[in-house]
Amino acid sequence: MDEEPERAKRWEGGYERTWEVLKEDESGSLKATVEDILFQAKRKRVFESHGQVRLGMMRHLYVVIDSSRTMEDQDLKPNRLTSTLKLMEFFVEEYFDQNPISQIGIITTKNKRAEKLTDLAGNPKKHVAALKKAVGSTCLGEPSLYNALNIAMQTLKHMPGHTSREILIIFSSLTTCDPANIYELIKTLKELKIRVSVIGLSAEVRVCTILTRETGGSYNVILDESHFKELLMLHVKPPPASSSSECSLIRMGFPQHIIASVSDQDAKPSFSMSHLESVDEGPGLTLGGYYCPQCRAKYTELPVECKVCGLTLVSAPHLARSFHHLFPLDAFQESPLEEHTGDRFCQACQGELKDKSVFTCPACSSVFCTECDLFIHDTLHCCPACIHTQGAS
Amino acid sequence: MKLNIEGLLVYFPYDYIYPEQYSYMLELKRTLDAKGHGVLEMPSGTGKTISLLSLIVAYQKAYPLEVTKLIYCSRTVPEIEKVVEELRKLMEFYTKETGEKNNFLALALSSRKNLCIHPEILHANIVVYSYHYLLDPKIADLVSKELAKKSVVVFDEAHNIDNVCIDSMSVNITRRTLDRCQTNVDTLQNTIQRIKETDAAKLREEYRRLVEGLKEANVARETDIYLSNPVLPDEVLQEAIPGSIRTAEHFVGFLKRFLEYLKARLRIHHVVQESSPQFLKDIYEKVCIDRKPLRFCAERLRSLLRTLEIADIADFSPITLISHFATLVSTYSKGFTIIIEPFEDKTPTIANPVLHFSCMDPSIAIKPVFERFQSVVITSGTLSPLDIYPRILDFRPVTMASFTMTLARTCLCPLIVGRGNDQVAMSSKFETREDFAVIRNYGNLLLEMSAIVPDGIVAFFTSYVYMENIVASWYEQGILENIQRNKLIFIETPDAAETSMALEKYQEACENGRGAILLSVARGKVSEGIDFVHHFGRAVIMFGVPYVYTQSRILKARLEYLRDQFQIRENDFLTFDAMRHAAQCVGRAIRGKTDYGLMIFADKRYARADKRGKLPRWIQEHISDGSLNLTIDETVQLSKHFLRQMAQPFRREDQLGLSLLTLEQLQSEEMLEKISQIAQQA
Repeated sequence: MDEEPERAKRWEGGYERTWEVLKEDESGSLKATVEDILFQAKRKRVFESHGQVRLGMMRHLYVVIDSSRTMEDQDLKPNRLTSTLKLMEFFVEEYFDQNPISQIGIITTKNKRAEKLTDLAGNPKKHVAALKKAVGSTCLGEPSLYNALNIAMQTLKHMPGHTSREILIIFSSLTTCDPANIYELIKTLKELKIRVSVIGLSAEVRVCTILTRETGGSYNVILDESHFKELLMLHVKPPPASSSSECSLIRMGFPQHIIASVSDQDAKPSFSMSHLESVDEGPGLTLGGYYCPQCRAKYTELPVECKVCGLTLVSAPHLARSFHHLFPLDAFQESPLEEHTGDRFCQACQGELKDKSVFTCPACSSVFCTECDLFIHDTLHCCPACIHTQGAS
Repeated sequence: MKLNIEGLLVYFPYDYIYPEQYSYMLELKRTLDAKGHGVLEMPSGTGKTISLLSLIVAYQKAYPLEVTKLIYCSRTVPEIEKVVEELRKLMEFYTKETGEKNNFLALALSSRKNLCIHPEILHANIVVYSYHYLLDPKIADLVSKELAKKSVVVFDEAHNIDNVCIDSMSVNITRRTLDRCQTNVDTLQNTIQRIKETDAAKLREEYRRLVEGLKEANVARETDIYLSNPVLPDEVLQEAIPGSIRTAEHFVGFLKRFLEYLKARLRIHHVVQESSPQFLKDIYEKVCIDRKPLRFCAERLRSLLRTLEIADIADFSPITLISHFATLVSTYSKGFTIIIEPFEDKTPTIANPVLHFSCMDPSIAIKPVFERFQSVVITSGTLSPLDIYPRILDFRPVTMASFTMTLARTCLCPLIVGRGNDQVAMSSKFETREDFAVIRNYGNLLLEMSAIVPDGIVAFFTSYVYMENIVASWYEQGILENIQRNKLIFIETPDAAETSMALEKYQEACENGRGAILLSVARGKVSEGIDFVHHFGRAVIMFGVPYVYTQSRILKARLEYLRDQFQIRENDFLTFDAMRHAAQCVGRAIRGKTDYGLMIFADKRYARADKRGKLPRWIQEHISDGSLNLTIDETVQLSKHFLRQMAQPFRREDQLGLSLLTLEQLQSEEMLEKISQIAQQA
């Protein structure tokens, strides 16, 4: 018999009441109430994000992934690590989709140490590749919040004042092994205006509560995988910029994409500047590309910071995509279903209004159900009924 | 906010109120209206103190002639400070709302250095002090005897009041006490000799006074100025001090004889247990000491100490103790027992004779309080079953009620773990406590919990001995090492300094994310006085049922007495006692509505109705049938789920309207209907 790792078989694993997730609770006890509270929180989030706030457009985010022993726990399938890394891939894609001129970096912590998986960079491919590679790594020992925060801080503190400095920690363990007093570090982080948020995978840990409260971040603990995803996606949206953060004009370049065909005699294949350092990404010789308007350096991908003259290069659609953060859709008015007198149908999905409350658009007075309200605010960012009337007129 | 409690205007210094606080005040007002006594159980952290204070102060203001004074008794100095803090808030609110200058005087007696302001008490409207000032006859006489009859007395955290009563009336005499007494007597004799030479008139004056007897005291009691002292029974007041001990020299001689007798009694090799009359008979036969002079012993000694103008009474505590013993033993023929043990049970080879003069009837000490004051309220977070307190304290309450905690989310999770994963029953009962499988399962339970509970876990064992055995066994099996991979381990010891050190480090470990386990003992210091709010106690594990050590002779005597006098069966009392301590232990974790914690009862006996039924109602109602006889695995799953649920954001708005009310919400019909269901009359 070869040595099987511990708890390899499903039937040897912990006893789980998987059916409880599906259980409906009519008596109004625990589950129902907590879910109600969660729903309220969701509403609040949508509402909150629609005040007149300044949002940080350029973000610098370090994601710390706990890779300690506890990540082998199988309460997320197939285990916490694999599940987390999968979601992280999705998160990275989504993050760059919504924040095209921002950067991200990944740190892992295990065995009382922390190390950088990827540096702060604006290229999703690199991060995704690193995440894919990390799936096979083993989970060992305890995490160290202190070391992880310290590494992130060393880089973030050099970031310019008009950008946001953020750390997001995916924390699975209930303990941390620190070489020094973490409260001192929290103070430093606060002074540097680094915002730390935590997503806990097991339970509420005191030190995280303090950490997030002091630095102005958010702290959430997942209920299950879908909730995990939801919480992670919250961090896609840029946080409100603190009023004390600097304002500055940023020079940006909008390079044109020049396409050269092979048939063109003048076209010469050239190296992209971003490929100079990375050796393993193929030959890197291409014909066309984006040329920096200032120094004519060539890049194959945007957004990027010009290696030669330091100009931020973006394309117009990138900026446009960040725009809805700046001009968000107003919150719809919530009112109880009984008081609603008009149509009993949701303007968006045409379904019958069944929830406790209905939502009315302040601009066109159309009525929506809860789900559609969330969808409109989270995804569409514009009121379909308003668009419709505009289109008609 | 201003509340209307059945026609009484109550100023409540907060903008929000818990429904149970309102209900509590209703019951309290009914008690005061009826001028009777009450027993009220309300979970800790639901604002008992402020409800009590606001209502009674309002009552005092509204009916100044009915209730003149509030006497608030609490257990420890921090608790007293907390009461004073709340009171200050209330008074500020009064000043703000009414604009009048505050004419209320409140007084807190916390330590000896504050004790000398005695005459002030007469004028204070509120007095806050420790139980002992009212219950312990030795102190009560100094501090409390002039309190007016129309006072309301509140005993907070009163779940142990019977033990306090008993302790205050019991006397333990060792050889050391007697040796120190001997020194006292010598000092007395010398002083008398000296005074006789310098100021003989003084002693003559005392003699004259003693002949006249304690008439003054009697007059005072009849005219209702003093709280009666159980050490000074009524008959003593009507008689003069007997001739045989009237002169100072005679009295010292008498004390000497009494001391010699006690010394002789301590020179024994086997255990003796006898009643007070037996003791009196023996002392008469051996050294010809009569019952009557013995009874006057305490009073006579006090008079002598006064006459001799001895300033430092503390030095004379041993002889005072002996005199109290003499008076008590000759006064009460019932309710006390004398046990003389030549050695301690644990160390049968070391001679350490002790004379226990043990009170078995808590009602003796508290009787004067119930008789004297128009309303006495006994309250605590854990007073279940309610009906046993009136029985053992021998009084008739007009209100008895237990309040539940209204919760927007179920923040407590009591689980009864009865089996290990190997299906072996877990129990601390005598037959199985040495069982290897049981100990291993207990270890596994702690190990599994240490992996899923964040920050602090407090584990309680039934006794120090049991804890030592188990921990040693865990160490051998390597369980301890595994636990330490998850959390640090701290242990409570009988040494107070060591324990407070462990406690401090434990809190530090919880604070900085290291996580820790505190192993402690039910009935120990930690289980009674220390709160584990929020992260300091996310789970409490109770290993076994904390029965009191039943082989103790004192306990046996008391059980017998309870059976004969109050018709309370031994088993009922033992279970009651064990369950109130268990409830105290697990209650340490929940100190408010925003707090949350697991309560794990690790013994299959908890699932039985007679045990479960004795837990406070606010815990009991959260024990569902599904959480009765769990295995470790099931416990872990339920706990994980619970902890995740509780970690979800929880704000004040979520509580509003459910477990936290504004004035408008409180006044709605529907809510008043709901509130009326909170209190359950026993």
